Amino acid sequence: MIRLEHVDKRYGNGHMALSGVDLVIRRGEFVFIVGPSGSGKSSLIRLLYREELPTTGDVYIDQFHLTRMRRSQVPRLRRQLGVVFQDVKLLPQRSVAQNVAFAMEVVGASSRDIAKRVPAVLELVGLARRRESFPHQLSGGEQQRLGIARALVNNPVYLIADEPTGNLDPDTAGEIMRLFLEINRRGATVIMATHARDLVNQVQRRVVAIEQGRIVRDELKGAYGHEA
Amino acid sequence: MKPKILWYFGRETGYGLWRNGWMTLASVSTVAISLFVLAFFIVLSVNLNHVAGVLESEVEVRVFIHQHVPRTSEIRLMNEAKHWPDIRHITFFTKTQAARQLQSEFPDQKDLLQLIDQSNPLFDGYDVYTRQATQIPQVANHFRSKKIVESVVYEGLVAKRIDRVTEVVRAVGWGIEALLALATLSIISNTIRLAVFARRREIGVMKLVGATDWFIRWPFVMEGMVLGLVGAVAADVLVNYGYRWAIGAAVSAMPFWPVAPLSMVLDHTIWVTIATGLVIGALGSLVAVRRFLRV
Repeated sequence: MIRLEHVDKRYGNGHMALSGVDLVIRRGEFVFIVGPSGSGKSSLIRLLYREELPTTGDVYIDQFHLTRMRRSQVPRLRRQLGVVFQDVKLLPQRSVAQNVAFAMEVVGASSRDIAKRVPAVLELVGLARRRESFPHQLSGGEQQRLGIARALVNNPVYLIADEPTGNLDPDTAGEIMRLFLEINRRGATVIMATHARDLVNQVQRRVVAIEQGRIVRDELKGAYGHEA
Repeated sequence: MKPKILWYFGRETGYGLWRNGWMTLASVSTVAISLFVLAFFIVLSVNLNHVAGVLESEVEVRVFIHQHVPRTSEIRLMNEAKHWPDIRHITFFTKTQAARQLQSEFPDQKDLLQLIDQSNPLFDGYDVYTRQATQIPQVANHFRSKKIVESVVYEGLVAKRIDRVTEVVRAVGWGIEALLALATLSIISNTIRLAVFARRREIGVMKLVGATDWFIRWPFVMEGMVLGLVGAVAADVLVNYGYRWAIGAAVSAMPFWPVAPLSMVLDHTIWVTIATGLVIGALGSLVAVRRFLRV
């Protein structure tokens, strides 16, 4: 379970990104975090994988208390999470398969597990035939799928995605969304920050809306927003 | 450590050094030059010690024995002194031998020689050599405490001065070595920093997928140690050939000057340069990586 209690986040320049956020996400849920640009969605996502710490308040993920944990414990937390970044963060000198295998190598997985797991994940995201390609040879949608494959390869309990369909055409975005739904159906908790109004409205999952750093709406089977 | 992980570290180290080829070459040369200067100083220090050692071995204590002491007592004390731990060598001379030595050293002093011929006023005694110059005063006192000893003469001041010079040279040496170590540290650290900077994206991704700090550090630390090691070996090769040449030149220019043999010099330089290279390589890398791990 993910729990945020009275979380404020103020950056060094004085900008108040989040204010008084309380949020509980249970295992197995599919949650959209929606809101206009600069509303605090990305800040919220970054708190979850502890790239940022809250200025005040507490963040808990399962047994981890993110605001109190030692630095040496952070890798253990991150191995529970799969993160899909807004800018994908692929390694340009490594092939598709190597990008995915890299995530397993650095957590000390055995060669046998890597050889078994990498093709399976590439199959799931539909990149099995591009395994020898390099990131610059992939389309935007394929790059995003590679990012998802890397996030999935270590079997995370939580899959966290920041605008994964941000730069994609509607068809490709739809494909990516179906992939996330499939991953969720297989048991992973999915938390996705997004702008994609149509997709959110189509799939009817829990929607947490943020405006000016505050949660203004939290609906099960919600829609993107009434105001627009 | 699992072989798989070790293989990963080795591969990453190799990639890193290869990818930054020119920078690798530049830093190995700089490290080699710094370590060569370090080695040069060690060579100097080894040679000074060697010279001091040779000079010390030539410093003697001369012990004179009272007149009319039976020869058996004189020999007994000499045999006893041979077992004192500070004494390297001791020889006995009679007053007749002393007179002959005086005659050969000062053949022109006619009055003196005449006096000695008439009635020899000299004493029987010992020439004593200690293991180290610092032991001379206590050996002298030891002899003075013996009843049959008339007097003891030694070059106490010379011994003390040699030791003082050696001490100063060693202190200055440590200072220079420390400064050079700092300079080398910063060179290696900067090289590794470039390597780390080129791979900061990877490091960021590694951190975010849950790699531990040490997992990220190891390849860079190994890279730094390889730079240090290769630099040290290059410096030692230079010292080897340079010193051979220097010995040749020194022996022909100053045949009487005691030069430390090559093996004695290399015994010191090899270990110091390799250990310094490895330690500084590792430290430099740790310093360089630190900032990039805060993700």
